[in-house]
Amino acid sequence: MKQRKLLLRLGLIGFFIFLAIYHLYPTYRYSELRKVQSQEIQSLARLTGTAAAELERAVQEGRSEDVMDHIGGAELTSDNRALAKQKADELLGEFAEKLDKSHRQSLKLGLDLQGGMHLVLEVDLVGLMKQLANNSDARFDTLTAEIARRLMDPRLDFNETVLDVFESSGVRLSRYYLESQSSNRQVLDFLSKEADDAIARSLEVMRNRIDQFGVAEPTIVQQGSRRIIVELPGLQDPARARELIGKTALLEFKLLLEPAAAQKVLEDVDRILKRERFLAAGDTTALAALLAEAKADTAAQDTAATPAAKDKVVEASKLFTEEGDKTALGEDTSLVVAEGLQEEHPFYALLRNIGDEVAVVKQNRRAVEIVLAKPEIRAAIPRDVEFLWSNELVMGPDNKEYWNLYLLKAAPEITGKYLTKADVEIGSGGDPGREGQPTVSLSMNRDGARIFSRVTGANVGRKLAIVLDRKVHMAPVIKVKIPDGRAIIEGSDNMEAARDLAIVLRAGALPAPVEIIEEQTVGPSLGADSISKGSLSAIVSFIIIGLFMAWYYKLAGIVADVALVLNLIFLMAILAGFQATLTLPGIAGIILTIGMAVDANVLIYERIREELRSGKTIRSSIDAGYQRATVTILDANITTIIAAVVLYQFGTGPIRGFALTLMIGVAVSLYTAIVGTRLIFDMYTQKFAPKRLSI
Amino acid sequence: MEWFKNANYDFQKIRRKAMAVSALVILAGIVSMVIRGGPNWSIDFTGGISVRLRFEKPMSEGEVRGVMSRIGLGDSEIKRISELGGASDILVQFKKTTATEGGVDRIKSALQQAFPDNSFAVRQVENIGPKIGKELRGKAVWASLLALLGILIYVSARFEFLFSLAGVLALFHDVLVTVGIFSILGKEISLTIVAALLTIIGYSINDTIVIFDRIRENLKRLKTKGLEEIINTSINQTLSRTIVTNLTVFIVLWILFIFGGTVIRDFALALLIGSFAGTYSTIYIASPILIEWNARAEKLQKRKMQR
Repeated sequence: MKQRKLLLRLGLIGFFIFLAIYHLYPTYRYSELRKVQSQEIQSLARLTGTAAAELERAVQEGRSEDVMDHIGGAELTSDNRALAKQKADELLGEFAEKLDKSHRQSLKLGLDLQGGMHLVLEVDLVGLMKQLANNSDARFDTLTAEIARRLMDPRLDFNETVLDVFESSGVRLSRYYLESQSSNRQVLDFLSKEADDAIARSLEVMRNRIDQFGVAEPTIVQQGSRRIIVELPGLQDPARARELIGKTALLEFKLLLEPAAAQKVLEDVDRILKRERFLAAGDTTALAALLAEAKADTAAQDTAATPAAKDKVVEASKLFTEEGDKTALGEDTSLVVAEGLQEEHPFYALLRNIGDEVAVVKQNRRAVEIVLAKPEIRAAIPRDVEFLWSNELVMGPDNKEYWNLYLLKAAPEITGKYLTKADVEIGSGGDPGREGQPTVSLSMNRDGARIFSRVTGANVGRKLAIVLDRKVHMAPVIKVKIPDGRAIIEGSDNMEAARDLAIVLRAGALPAPVEIIEEQTVGPSLGADSISKGSLSAIVSFIIIGLFMAWYYKLAGIVADVALVLNLIFLMAILAGFQATLTLPGIAGIILTIGMAVDANVLIYERIREELRSGKTIRSSIDAGYQRATVTILDANITTIIAAVVLYQFGTGPIRGFALTLMIGVAVSLYTAIVGTRLIFDMYTQKFAPKRLSI
Repeated sequence: MEWFKNANYDFQKIRRKAMAVSALVILAGIVSMVIRGGPNWSIDFTGGISVRLRFEKPMSEGEVRGVMSRIGLGDSEIKRISELGGASDILVQFKKTTATEGGVDRIKSALQQAFPDNSFAVRQVENIGPKIGKELRGKAVWASLLALLGILIYVSARFEFLFSLAGVLALFHDVLVTVGIFSILGKEISLTIVAALLTIIGYSINDTIVIFDRIRENLKRLKTKGLEEIINTSINQTLSRTIVTNLTVFIVLWILFIFGGTVIRDFALALLIGSFAGTYSTIYIASPILIEWNARAEKLQKRKMQR
C-alpha cells in the first residue's frame, strides 16, 4: 500500500517534469534554429557579397523583395545565382515558418533584454477640445490653457477640471459646444464620448502606421482611459519611429491671403505693437516670463549667427522696453532687426521680404511668436486668418537661415480625409529642380477631387498652402484648375523621410494630438550584455549555493539541491507555458529565488536535526520535521507572495517580470522543497533503512 | 556541519541599547533626507532624460559636461558606468520639471558635433514626462502601504494581533533603515529600488514569522518560564536556520551586486541592507515590542488586582 502511494507520488513529479520539458523545448529549439539561421545568412552573404547585418534584418523582417534585390544586384554565375535563390527561398519560406512556430511557444524576452522601444503616449484631450469647439475666442484660449495647466496634476479628472474651470469663470460650455441651450452635463457627455472615440481611432491609426513601418511583433495597447502603450522590439531607429508614431499627420490645404489683405494684417500688428511698446509697464511680469522662455529656447538652439552689415543686433529688452529684463537676457536672445525701422515699425523690423514671401531670420522666431501671442495683438488679427510657419528653415540670399511666415485663411479648403493614396515617387527629369528628389504624390477620392477641382478652379493665380500638422510644407501658385484630385508634396530630405510621410498620410490623421510622455529605448548590445551578466550571476549563484548546502547538510543538502534544480526548471517552464516575459529584473528574481528557495529545506532540516537530538527515530524525526516546519514555511512564503502580488499590480514591464518570477519561484519552491524532497527521503528510508541520517 | 548547536545567548539583555542604535540609524537617515530635501528620487519619479552612451575612444566625464553646459543642460549629471572587464559607458542624465521636446536628439547632436572623430553608440534612452513621474511617486507609496496592510491582515489571521503589529512595525523599521542608508550614501530611489523595498517587506517578515512560530510553540510548552526567557530560547533554537538562510540569500545578493550590472547593483544593495535589517529587527524590534508590551500589561494587571 505504502509502496503504491510512493509510486503514485513519483509518477506525479515525473509528469510535472515531462510537462516542464515539453514547455521548455520550443525555447531550446528556437535558439538552435536561430544559430542555424545566422549561419545560413552568413553563407548567403558571402556568396552574394552583401553585408550580413543588412541581409539579416531583411530576412528577419520578412522583406523578401529586399532579400531578392540583394541577390539580383550581385554579380554571380548562373549556378551560384540559382544556389543563392534556393537558399533565400528556404530561409524565407519553410525555415522562417519553423522558426516562427518555435518562437511563438518559447520564453519571451522583455524589451530590456532583446532591445527595443517602449513608448507611452497620451491623447491630448485639451487639444481635442480645441478641435471640437464650434468657435473660439481669446476667452476660450485662456480657459483651455488653464485646464491644460491644471491637468498637469495627474490625479485630476478631465471632466471635473473642465467643469470647474468653466463654472468658476462663469462661462457656459454651450457657448463653444453643441447648441446654445445645451446643459454643461450634456456637453461633458459629448466631450467624453468624443474622447473615447478618439482613443479608439488613435489605436487603429497607430496599428496601421506600425504595420506599414515593418516591425516584428509590435504591441499596441490602451492603458487607462487616455493612454496608449507602444512596444517595438528590436527596433533599429528610435528617432524615426518616434516621428512616425507621434505625428498627428493632419493634412490641410489652405489658401494664402491675397497680398493686399495680408499687408493690412501686418500693418495692424505693427501699429499695435508700436503703441503697446510705450504702454507695456503693467505687463512687465508676463512679458518677462515670455522673454525668459524665448531665451531658454534660443539658447538651446545654439545661435551663433553674426549680424549682417545692414542689420543691427538689438537686445530684446530694448524692443519691448521692459526695464529689468536686461539681466535675464543673454547674447543668445539678440534679435536681428533692420536698422532705422525698429522705432517706427517694431514688427516690420523683425521681418524680411524674400522673394514674395515674408521671412523671419532664425533667431527672431521666438520674438515674433511672443508678439503674435499677445492678447492685444491677437484681438487685432481677424478670426478667420492665422499665421503659420514653414516646416523647415530656408536659406536666404544672404546665406542666413530663415523661417517663412505665412498668413492663411484659417478654414482649410480641403483636408486629408479624402485621401485614397499616398506614394513615394522620384521626381522625373522633365521637371527641373525635382529631378531625383523623392516626393509624395497624393490621390483623392471622387468627393475630394470634386472639391479640389472647385477650389483650384476658383483661385487660379493664388497660392495654396499644403499644411501638415500646422506647418506649411509648400505654398505653390495655382496655375490651372486641377480636376483629377492629385497633388504632390515636395521637400522630403531622403527616401526614408518620404516613405514615412507617405505611411502617415495613408494611415490617416490621428483624431487628436498625442504626446509622448514616456520613452524607454534599449540598444540590442546592452540587452545582450544584460543576458550574459544575468546568466553568469545565475550560474555562479547556483554553484555556490549548491556546494554550500551539500557541505552543510551532507546527503540531505544534495537532496535540497535536486529540489532547487527542479524549482528552476519548473519556474522557467511556467514562464514559457504562460507566455510570460523574462526581463532583467526577472532574471534577478530567479537568482533571488535560488537564495530564498533553500530556506524551506533549511527550516525542515533544522527541525529534523532537533527531533533527532531529542532521541526520536529517523522515520519519526523526518515526519515530525516536515510536519512542524510546513506550517511555518507556508506562513513565511505567503507573505512574500502577498508583497509580490502588490508589486505586480504597481509595476510595469521589467518590474512586473520581477514580481512574477518571485511569485512563481516562491510558490514552486513550496512544492519542490516540501513535496519533492519528502518523496526522496521516504524512498531512501524505505529502501535502505539507514541507521544514521546524513543531515 | 552544524553551527550554533546549543546556542544560548541572552539576546534580549541588550535590547534597549540595540533599539537605540536602530533609532540612531533611522534618525541619521531622516536628517540626511531633510538636508537633501526629501528622498533622492530618480528620473523614474521626477521625469527627465537619461542617455547611456558608449564612446569608441575613452572619454572623460568633464569633456561631456562641457558640451552639456554649452547647450544649456549644465545641471545635468554625468556619470561613468564601469563594468567588469574594463568597458565603460557614459551616462548623461538630467531631471526636469517641464517637458522638453527632442532633448535626447539635442544631446546626441551636440556630442556628435563636439567630438566628430569619436563616434558613440546609444545604448539606452529613458525619457520620462514629469506627469508620469509624479503619478508613480504616489503609486509607489501606496503600493508599499498596501503590501504592509496585506501582511498585517495575513499575520493577524495566523497569530495574535499584537504579534502581527510587532512584525509590521519591524518591517517599517527595515524600510526606513534602507531608505535612510540610501539617502546617506547619496543613492537614488528608482523604480527598481521600490521593487526592492516591496521585496524586503515580503521577505524580511519571514524571519519574524519563523521566530514567532517558535515563540508560540514554546509558550505552550514552557508555561512556567517568563516571556523574555521564552523569546530568548526561541531565537536561540532557530539561530542556525536564521544564519544559514540569511547566508544563502546574502551570497546570491553579493553575486548580483558584483556581476549584475548597474541597474541590478543598486537593487542588490537595497536588498542586502533590507534583509540584514530584517533579521536584526526580528530580534531587536519585533521581539522587544512583545516583551515591553507584556511587561506593561502585567503591571496594569497587578494594579487592577491591588485595587
